[in-house]
Amino acid sequence: MQTRALREQPPVDLARSAELAGTPFFAQTDYQCGPAALATVLAAAGFPADPGELGPQVFLPARTGTLQIEMIAGARRAGAVATRVPATLEAVLREVQAGHPVVVLQNLGLSWIPAWHYAVLVGYDIAAGEVLLRSGTTRREAMTMRTFEHTWKRSGSWAFVALPPGQWPVTVQEAAAVEAGVGFERVAPPSQAVAVYRSALARWPANLSLAMGLGNSLHASGDLRGAAEVFRAAATQHRSAPAWINLSGTLLELGEKGAALEAARSAQASGDAAWQVQSDAALQEALGQR
Amino acid sequence: MKRSTRWTASLVAACLSFAGLMQTAQATLVATEQVAASEGVRSATAQRDYVNATLARDDVAAGLAERGVSVEQARARVAALTDDEVAVVAHTLDTAPAGASDVLGVILTVFIVLLITDILGFTKVFPFTRSIR
Repeated sequence: MQTRALREQPPVDLARSAELAGTPFFAQTDYQCGPAALATVLAAAGFPADPGELGPQVFLPARTGTLQIEMIAGARRAGAVATRVPATLEAVLREVQAGHPVVVLQNLGLSWIPAWHYAVLVGYDIAAGEVLLRSGTTRREAMTMRTFEHTWKRSGSWAFVALPPGQWPVTVQEAAAVEAGVGFERVAPPSQAVAVYRSALARWPANLSLAMGLGNSLHASGDLRGAAEVFRAAATQHRSAPAWINLSGTLLELGEKGAALEAARSAQASGDAAWQVQSDAALQEALGQR
Repeated sequence: MKRSTRWTASLVAACLSFAGLMQTAQATLVATEQVAASEGVRSATAQRDYVNATLARDDVAAGLAERGVSVEQARARVAALTDDEVAVVAHTLDTAPAGASDVLGVILTVFIVLLITDILGFTKVFPFTRSIR
């Protein structure tokens, strides 16, 4: 029981209480707790947010509810980076302490008759054993921390934070950052994706996916020189076939045929069977240009 | 070759090589998502796509049909799963051998549980069940 553990032995660097009183409130209508919760965190992060507009995007009438995927995608389409936070009570409390309201998925019913509900965690009080939520039509819903923990656990402790590109949840873990970056890249303008990947690489410089994301985003934004530099660094650092392949392609576009061929050969030489087909294609492209 | 034909041939050849020079090499880059997946980070969407793609396999669909379950019903069931549940199904499909009978085993287990809960009245996923409550 995380609540009891937290109350008995609170971490020294976790504030005893916090409340993000300035978090906006959008009362939900009908089944649309998803759009209301999403609008809340988007507005808190400085993005324009209208539950009425978000509704058609994220709400699925056939299911009378919003899939988690749609919540995350909805945040991204609005320009925010939606990042999963670790599935622990301490993590979501730390996010609140850091000024980040957290979208949480609760099961307010039973495990076999679920009543899914999205709410926004905006405060907590360890001594009182309470959390504060923007929930449904209640601006400031106080719930015992115990009940919150139970209802949240039944959703698999699913939660995310929505922030401007370049910012990350304080409890973010590497894999969640990669997932967030890759998802964001799919819908965002390349320059924004560049900002996201750069900030992530600063924290996790050894991550290949993040480096590839940065290179691809630079390429998509038209900075071929920058992209090539990133691909070359990643290829050397990781001896990575996809990095060599993308370096080769970018160099071809820059008109550097000799260097492109060299890179394509390096891709082949890496001997990674998973990338064989694409390495071959890159080599053919590099040769075809001569 | 007649002179006019040779002339045409060299003109065509010149045009082709000129077109080759003019062609902006739009390189085919490996997508970030593919690298991330190879590094073990597959998004929730990708996992759902993967499970749905498995359902769409001919042999799996045939096996389901034999047991009176349509692909649409299977899809609806998957759609009702939370992301973490989908991840579990995806992982089980990943680690199970790829034969249709093994895949069916995984999917049917998910189904049977839900049929029972429908009949007992705890859920209402399948339209054809009549709950006892």
